[in-house]
Amino acid sequence: MNGWQLGLILGLLLANAAAFLWLVVKGGVAGGSKGPEGTVADQAERDVEHIFNEEFREELRNRGRLHFEKIIGENAMFLQQDLRLTTSQLNEFLKQEITDKLQEEFAKYEQSIIDAKQMAIDSITKTQAAIEQQRQAMSAQLAQEIAAEKQRVVKRFEDNMADIVNHYVLAAIGDQIDLNDQLEYILADLESNKEAIVRDITDGA
Amino acid sequence: MEHNPRPRSILLPTSVVGRVDLGRLVREVDNLTEFLEQAAIREPGTSQEKLPKTSRLLDQTIEINKLNLLQVDDRKQLGQFLKTVYQEAPVLHMSFSADPSPQFTQKLAAWLRQEIHPFVLLQVGLQPNIGAGCVVRTTNKYFDFSLRERFKSKRPLLMEKLKSLGTKVEVVQVGEAHA
Repeated sequence: MNGWQLGLILGLLLANAAAFLWLVVKGGVAGGSKGPEGTVADQAERDVEHIFNEEFREELRNRGRLHFEKIIGENAMFLQQDLRLTTSQLNEFLKQEITDKLQEEFAKYEQSIIDAKQMAIDSITKTQAAIEQQRQAMSAQLAQEIAAEKQRVVKRFEDNMADIVNHYVLAAIGDQIDLNDQLEYILADLESNKEAIVRDITDGA
Repeated sequence: MEHNPRPRSILLPTSVVGRVDLGRLVREVDNLTEFLEQAAIREPGTSQEKLPKTSRLLDQTIEINKLNLLQVDDRKQLGQFLKTVYQEAPVLHMSFSADPSPQFTQKLAAWLRQEIHPFVLLQVGLQPNIGAGCVVRTTNKYFDFSLRERFKSKRPLLMEKLKSLGTKVEVVQVGEAHA
């Protein structure tokens, strides 16, 4: 508002000055022909010098300077307010942008985490399935191995058992049977193989 | 190889079982022959050695064959017979779980000479691990009549019995567990 008034005043002053200068110039041209002792232009100039003297102009300058300073101060204040407002808006904007960006990034991050989690779950599920399959295969193989080992142990036990029983019986009764008692059985065995013995002795075959 | 060493009428007593006995008889007959020959050429008045003692085996041999060893022919015949038998008679190796008595070996030799060969000789061995019975080895063959071999041949029966016994025990245990 003050700026507009200052402009208006300055415009009026400049319009008066221009009108005055036009009148002087016009009068000088018309009065030049009247005489050399004083022209209208010189008279106008002297009046101007009289009205707009140095003090008046200094006053005008001071007023203009003060007004200018005032306008500058007001504009600075406005500018500061605008700047603050702009800064605030900028802060809000940045805050909002950053918030949005962060939310977006967080959403992406969350989605990534969900995807990674899902992938991990899938991987774990596959691994568990593979482990279960492997476990079943190993269980089957182990059962087979155990059955084979059991069979081997049973067979070895049976073989050794027969040997143990035989050895025990031989050791238990070996010394208890008199050879004279065995003679009948020995002769029976010899009798049953007599032909082979005779053939081997006589023919050497 | 001739296994019949000129049998004639000479027989081996059953107390002569193996080649050791036969070798002893050969040495005794040789000693006796040497003594009698020395005695025949002895000059009267010189010292005379004592008549060698004869063993029970030789006495039995002379007795069952009715020989007179003072006769040169009988001595020669017996000596020749014994050497021939020693060299050519078939030998049977028989192993027992214990050391057999002389009576046992004589009975065995009697049966062998009656059924197998009249001059068969017996070499007795010892195998305690056979339990009972005997193991016979001829020139080319091996006969195992031992209890150990019998057990081996009857092993399936033993295992069958053991398994059936094990099954019975399991059934009893299961029954007790259910009770």
